[in-house]
Amino acid sequence: MHDNRRQVLDMLAQGKINSDEAERLITALERSDMPMARDTSAVKYLRVLVDANDEQEGPTKVNVRVPMQLLRAGVRLTGVIPDRAREQVNDALRKEGILFDINKLTPDNLEDMIEQLRDLSVDVDNERAKVRVFCE
Amino acid sequence: MTQEILPPLSASVHVKPAGWRFGLRLWLPLFLLWLLLIPLLVLALPLLFVGSLIFRFNLWRSLRAANGVLAATRGSQVEVDKRDARIFIKLH
Repeated sequence: MHDNRRQVLDMLAQGKINSDEAERLITALERSDMPMARDTSAVKYLRVLVDANDEQEGPTKVNVRVPMQLLRAGVRLTGVIPDRAREQVNDALRKEGILFDINKLTPDNLEDMIEQLRDLSVDVDNERAKVRVFCE
Repeated sequence: MTQEILPPLSASVHVKPAGWRFGLRLWLPLFLLWLLLIPLLVLALPLLFVGSLIFRFNLWRSLRAANGVLAATRGSQVEVDKRDARIFIKLH
């Protein structure tokens, strides 16, 4: 973002734009900076909201908040699984048609995945229940 | 990314059955539970050590990872609101 600002200043110095235009461009750049600054905050919780209406049990509302640290800790736990057991897990996953290698599940990969989860929002809406899963 | 070290030290539990004017508000000192479990863990350590040699896993890393999972539950919150009761649990 600093490069863009410098480009604007260079254009001003070269006389390609006047000071008003430079100010407008820099203001626009600052505005575009804001959402990025917000995006760098860590995803802290996975939220699950359920609003169900069962004929027998009546209306039920469930609100669950799970810390993302639990996911991170779970991945660290996979690090202590012996190699032989890892292969067995991979084989079992393969048999179920899930092509996933738990050896590739590392804390670094997980951070990337969690970063992607920021935009995750699952909404299920049917006659009986509304379910919403999102990260915050 | 900071990692929690301590397991949840307390839990808040609110229960309000339907028809009750006021619900039950409980504060559970979980740290007492951990204090009780520490001697048991110390007693189990030799067995765990032998197990780690047999099944070839790193005992120290396993204990740290297990503690990490326990510690990561801090901040968990569950709220259920049904026709006959309302329950709220939060780990601190």
